[in-house]
Amino acid sequence: MPITEIIKKWITEGANVIDFGCGDGSLLCDLKDSKNINGYGIEIDPDQIELCIENGVSVIEQDIDQGIQDFSSFNFDIAIMASSIQCLKNPDVALDKMLDIADCCIVTLPNFGHWKCRLDVFLGRMPVTKSLPVTWYETNNYHLCTIKDFENLCEERGFILNKRKYLNTNYKESWLSSLRPNLFAAEGVYLIEKE
Amino acid sequence: MKVTSKKIKFENALSLECGSTLPSFELMFETYGELNKQNSNAVLVCHAFSGNHHAAGESNLDSSIGWWDQMIGPNKAIDTNKYFVVCSNNIGGCGGSSGPTTINPTNEEVYGADFPVVSVVDWVNTQKILMDYLGISKWELVLGGSLGGMQALQWAISYPENINKAGIFAAAAQASTQNIAMNEVARESIRKDENFYDGHYLKNNTKPKKGLKTARMLGHITYLSEEHMDLRFGRKFQDNESKITRDVDFEIENYLQYKGEKFSDAFDANTYILMTKAMDNFDPSSNEDGDLKKALTNIKSKLLIIGFKTDWLFPPKKGKEIQLAAMEAGIKSSFVVLDGKHGHDSFLFMSDRYFKIIRSFIES
Repeated sequence: MPITEIIKKWITEGANVIDFGCGDGSLLCDLKDSKNINGYGIEIDPDQIELCIENGVSVIEQDIDQGIQDFSSFNFDIAIMASSIQCLKNPDVALDKMLDIADCCIVTLPNFGHWKCRLDVFLGRMPVTKSLPVTWYETNNYHLCTIKDFENLCEERGFILNKRKYLNTNYKESWLSSLRPNLFAAEGVYLIEKE
Repeated sequence: MKVTSKKIKFENALSLECGSTLPSFELMFETYGELNKQNSNAVLVCHAFSGNHHAAGESNLDSSIGWWDQMIGPNKAIDTNKYFVVCSNNIGGCGGSSGPTTINPTNEEVYGADFPVVSVVDWVNTQKILMDYLGISKWELVLGGSLGGMQALQWAISYPENINKAGIFAAAAQASTQNIAMNEVARESIRKDENFYDGHYLKNNTKPKKGLKTARMLGHITYLSEEHMDLRFGRKFQDNESKITRDVDFEIENYLQYKGEKFSDAFDANTYILMTKAMDNFDPSSNEDGDLKKALTNIKSKLLIIGFKTDWLFPPKKGKEIQLAAMEAGIKSSFVVLDGKHGHDSFLFMSDRYFKIIRSFIES
């Protein structure tokens, strides 16, 4: 998985990591094996939590919107939010809090500005793509945004985008996705810090 | 399932946390399944405050089913085909181990109120002595609910080298003010029973049954959830034929009367006081100026903390407190909230998710 490879490169050896929306814990497992991190996952889906425990990943059953302030006294090296930020009720608040409890954050998000999404909307339908695979009535994505929207938010709030990668639908960097990310990137991957 | 019941007398003196010493003590315990050749498949189950060593299977004494039979047995969450499970009766209890109803070896009289104050730390220490006796050097898992969960947590703190995993269910690192308040009302009803005789009722050939019954009735309410009581009893009236006393109108009244009566026949009032005191006093952070994180720093085992949504005695937020402190201390720990409709007692009842989580944890 190329996104995992990017995240791996950005994470320092032995880091303390918190993964918001950790799914089955496979990313944390991978980082434990390759970077010897000490990681904790936050997850709300019961089936995923079970898989975390089976995989030996420390997991906390918690809604991110409600629970993120519980960690306000913590100091992690890195907070990760992979493909979860659009599912939050208050993504801007969560991002701000994540940057309070960790030195930096890695955020990945599906780009609603991708040409396939635009085409779908142009044709009068809500997009269903590789990055956004769920129909409008089943999706948990409350706050979809484009790469431009997200980067504007970070700029407004004074968050520094230290590193960024724009990936195409095959989760690879291509000259097109780098040239016009808001149109050709399916995913944005960011390393963010606070000023 | 191979079930073994045993009582062992340990002749060495036991120093207790309160400063007193027991010259010797007896432990009653049961085991389920078989210890493997490497002695590496042992699981310790800690009982809650009115529980005892009879956790699973049928007792050879009265053929009653163990209190956690839904959890422990062949192909159950704690699979006795694979694991060797040990459960002992806590000292200070009334299930066969040394306690207020047993004989004080120094004067050959029944202990009664003279049995010293015991603590969660003391119980864990006696369980360690039993562990050594059984030739086990490491528990694969120590688990318990409520006061049993407190023991599992204390195990992880007291003996970090001797435990791989701890399961802490429907428990807290500290009883709440409300918990202590409820327990004090229960203790007061026992103390004010005319047959209490300052705890020396056995010497006077009597028992403070009325007080113990009231205490249990109050306790029982705190173990159930409002929702479950509504569903099970609602405002239904008790039919005349099965009324325990004439004063009873509603089913819930009859139920509490029945439960309280049964309990006060079988349980010991001094034990009730000792156990509730042990629960109230439990506080691993007290040695670290109230800093739970510091108290957990030396833990080497993985923790699984489970809270139950309908539990208002030790609600999920109490479990989360343990989780957050463990996380801050860098301890591997998971926290799960289960639905469980039975209030505090939910930890006793198996559900699909409960089963899967425990299986995943013990096999991880």
